[in-house]
Parts: sequence; C-alpha cells; structure tokens
Amino acid sequence: MDRSRVAMLRELQEIEFALVELNLYLDTHPNDNKALSTFNNLAAHLAKAKKNYEARYGPLINFGHSGPVNSWNWIDEPWPWEIEY
Amino acid sequence: MTEQDYTTVENSADTLSHCPGIPRLRLATAYIPPQMFREMFPLSEALNKGTLFPELYRPYRRYPMKGEV
Repeated sequence: MDRSRVAMLRELQEIEFALVELNLYLDTHPNDNKALSTFNNLAAHLAKAKKNYEARYGPLINFGHSGPVNSWNWIDEPWPWEIEY
Repeated sequence: MTEQDYTTVENSADTLSHCPGIPRLRLATAYIPPQMFREMFPLSEALNKGTLFPELYRPYRRYPMKGEV
C-alpha cells in the first residue's frame, strides 16, 4: 500500500480523534465558543480531507457517506484489515 | 481545600473506618476540577498521547522498583 495513502489515512484518524475530544469537551462546556469554532474548523477540515482521500482511493465506508458511485470499487484491494500502518 | 486536621472525627464514617494502630484516614472523596479550554496538542501528538488537552495528559511514570537502580 503506497505511503501517501497510509499518510492520508493517518491524517484522517488524527483529525477524527481531535473531534472526538472536542465533542467530549463540548458535552460539558456547550457554551465555550472557542471550542465550538475549533470544532467547526476541524469538522470542515475533515470533510475536505475525506473528499481528497476518496477522490484518489475510493470510498472510506461502503455507504452513507459519498453518495452514488459509478463503479462498485468498494471491493477493490486492500480490505481495511489489510492496511499496514 | 482548607488544611484540615484529619484526626478530628466529623461523622460516623470517620469513626467506623478507623483501625487502631493506623493513622485515622478519611474515606476518599472524588472530585473533578473544572477544565478550561486553553490550548491543544498538535493533532499527531494528541493521537499518540491519547488526549487533545495538555492539562489532561498525565501518564503513569515508571519508577524503578525496590532494589532496581
């Protein structure tokens, strides 16, 4: 698996982890505007990063995210558990 | 937390939990200090450290065991 694909996946994981953390913080501090704007920026960043990844490597999840596909490349290699980080 | 004299008996727990010969220790009290959003670790560091917030990063230090140099 090529390096840049793993690097992009890693970046997605990093952004998503930060969003989970901000989510937990906002659960107990819903009025913290600084945290809210940070959350919004990161969420937008995540959406862009996911689009870039999918444009190059195909769908991240099998449905519910990137909408209709013209070819069913979900089954192309590698399966998620075959990815070596 | 005010400096308290832990030998004073305030309630039945203090009395019942006391073992003679052992210093009178109060039952544990859990608390969570309020967190303020200050700064964040860089994202890659946050994922490695398991938290986005430096104030929550508190790994167990490995101290040498008895007899270990």
